[in-house]
Amino acid sequence: MNSITRLIGTAAIALALGPGAVKAADLSFMSFTYAEEANKAIVQGVLDDFQKTDKLTVEPLGFAWGDMQKNIFLRARSKTLPDIAQLSERWLPTFASLDNLVDLNTVYGKDKLEAAFAPDALAMGDINGKQLAVPLLSGSIGMVANKEVLAKAGINEAPKTVDDFKKALVAVRDKVPNSVPYTMATKNNGSILIDFMVWNWVHGGRIIDDAGKVVVDSQQSRDALNFMVSLMKDRLAAPEIDRPDSRRLMGQGASAFYLDAPQTRTFLRDFSGKGEAFDANVLPMPTPVLKAGDKPVSVQWGHLLVQFAAGGKAKADDPADKFLTYLLSDKVQTDLPLKMSALPVTKSAREAVASDAYLKNWSAATGDARRNEVGIWSNAAELTQIIGEEVQGALLGQKSTDDAVKSMQARLTTSMEKAKKSE
Amino acid sequence: MAVIENNLEAYPVSPHANRGGLKAGQSRMGLLLLLPAAIAFSAVILYPFLSALGLSLFEFTVEMMEPRYIGFENFAKIASDPDVWAAFWTTAIYVTLTTLGTLVAGLGWALIMNQPFAGRGVLRSLSLLPWVLPSTVSAFVWGWIFNARYGVLNAFLMELGLIDFPQAWLSTPQGAMLAVVLTKVWLSIPLFMSFFLAGLQNLDKEQIDAARVDGAGNFAVLRDHILPHLRPVLIIVVVLGVIGNLQQFDTVYALTGGGPVRATTVLSVEVYRRAFEQWDIGYASAVGVLWVASLLPPAFLYLRMLVKGN
Repeated sequence: MNSITRLIGTAAIALALGPGAVKAADLSFMSFTYAEEANKAIVQGVLDDFQKTDKLTVEPLGFAWGDMQKNIFLRARSKTLPDIAQLSERWLPTFASLDNLVDLNTVYGKDKLEAAFAPDALAMGDINGKQLAVPLLSGSIGMVANKEVLAKAGINEAPKTVDDFKKALVAVRDKVPNSVPYTMATKNNGSILIDFMVWNWVHGGRIIDDAGKVVVDSQQSRDALNFMVSLMKDRLAAPEIDRPDSRRLMGQGASAFYLDAPQTRTFLRDFSGKGEAFDANVLPMPTPVLKAGDKPVSVQWGHLLVQFAAGGKAKADDPADKFLTYLLSDKVQTDLPLKMSALPVTKSAREAVASDAYLKNWSAATGDARRNEVGIWSNAAELTQIIGEEVQGALLGQKSTDDAVKSMQARLTTSMEKAKKSE
Repeated sequence: MAVIENNLEAYPVSPHANRGGLKAGQSRMGLLLLLPAAIAFSAVILYPFLSALGLSLFEFTVEMMEPRYIGFENFAKIASDPDVWAAFWTTAIYVTLTTLGTLVAGLGWALIMNQPFAGRGVLRSLSLLPWVLPSTVSAFVWGWIFNARYGVLNAFLMELGLIDFPQAWLSTPQGAMLAVVLTKVWLSIPLFMSFFLAGLQNLDKEQIDAARVDGAGNFAVLRDHILPHLRPVLIIVVVLGVIGNLQQFDTVYALTGGGPVRATTVLSVEVYRRAFEQWDIGYASAVGVLWVASLLPPAFLYLRMLVKGN
């Protein structure tokens, strides 16, 4: 047999085996948690246990959080969507128009889902009465403090009002050398949006109202942006900070405050290099309010699971749905969320973990957890970019807060009108 | 002496001979060898380009299941879109600075590497390092150099007493542009240096010696002898540099993401953002078509030079 014949033979065998190898797994699961170094082993453990329990294999597809939307969108175009995908709660409206997305009410029954899930968690996956996703983890994005840094700055209790907060930041700046007192997001539009949205709420403003009208051109929004700009000017916040930078600086004891989801504890364990010993420094606290008596605010947060199937049709005994059922079982829900420092989503699991001190403190600090008022629109990506650019422009001194707010209003209005026309 | 028969029909012809003779056989072989490259080109360049050309005439956003034909509406919108024009302007600045910067640095480095000194071979090899490193890796390395808190640049300038506080280089429009330009210049120096070094090695040394005997200084030698000699190389290098810098995406996106605000949003980043962050595929395709159009003049110039044998 000459070498060309051997080559052709090998190619033929590879072709014959190829499709078989691709089909080896019973279902595919696209996940950003699987791509996170700190959490990969946790997800792999769940997949292994599922294989043991249900005798079904899962092909994990790990993509970085920032690349997930792009990958799903491209796979939708090339008709290679995974069976199950993990989404951040704010992405769901963007993908709601995909016709392969399964309405899970048709698979499990609306009543059954309502009986199993905590209402706040289930609501994250509801779009116009269709249950296009079920929650995997839940919580809120709120203020986190580093107790060790606060102690170094002589601060005994978490600041309650905006004025107290600023005083605490000044104390950290003056007493903890080389620190960034508040690691406010100043780069990455997605991260900047969260900080601006929270401070805007604290000051009584809104960006887009419930009817989809852009209302950011208000005195409250100007006050919020002025407050953020003043933090930059007084060196209480710093440029070039994104959420991962905040976590690293907090883990290194170089930051006192930032906004994050409860999952932050897992990242801090990793980034501090101290593991669970660092937990003692992590203090979930209510976001400071404008004046005493106001209710603290936070942003609803969660990870969702969506199912893709041909024509959006699926049955509860499909492998993908067995996997969903497994992920939402008490066995997983009383374990996975805790390992990832987040709240479970089913009623029974929440009862089972009610005594967890960290999650209890987080829940107590949550206050008024509001739905992301930008993420709920199908053009959320464009809205996020506009808000990020305008806020960043003001924070870095490239434009006045007044110009930034006016420009934000005009650009957001154009985007919302365009999105309505496209629907 | 044997007489050659003029009547070709009189000669026997092998049944295995190629129809059309040797030349036609070579042409067919040439076409056959070209086929894999042509298939690959069609699949990864021609088809996506034609597809983008078609999509530029459609409205196709994430809210839509199917694209909707709108003719040249996307192009009309671009005409009044300040963000796209700003991206053109930023691209022009970026291409000019990177091409000029690389030209000067590449030529300077080639002149040094052309001098005889101990360790020249090692240094020449090391000079190729930026070319070997993946550009995204280089962008991250430069990102750390410019980092406001941990960057080597700040530490170095503070050590020299040139700045009192760490500077957030990547948070000012000028600093961010400087960073992306420096990174690209650093990445491109080996390529430019190689071209210039090849050109310099063809330079008649006696001509330089004669000029020096006549009293020419270094600058005069460079101006009157070296640069005229390198003129064809210079033109090729500038054209290739302009084409390469117009296409640049990875270093800019990895280093600044097009920011702060939109200070380093070159056309490639603009197209990427519109397509893969805002999912406005039709509009992104239209911007992409204009971007390709801006690449045509230098590409045409380059091809013309190739055909003419320069």
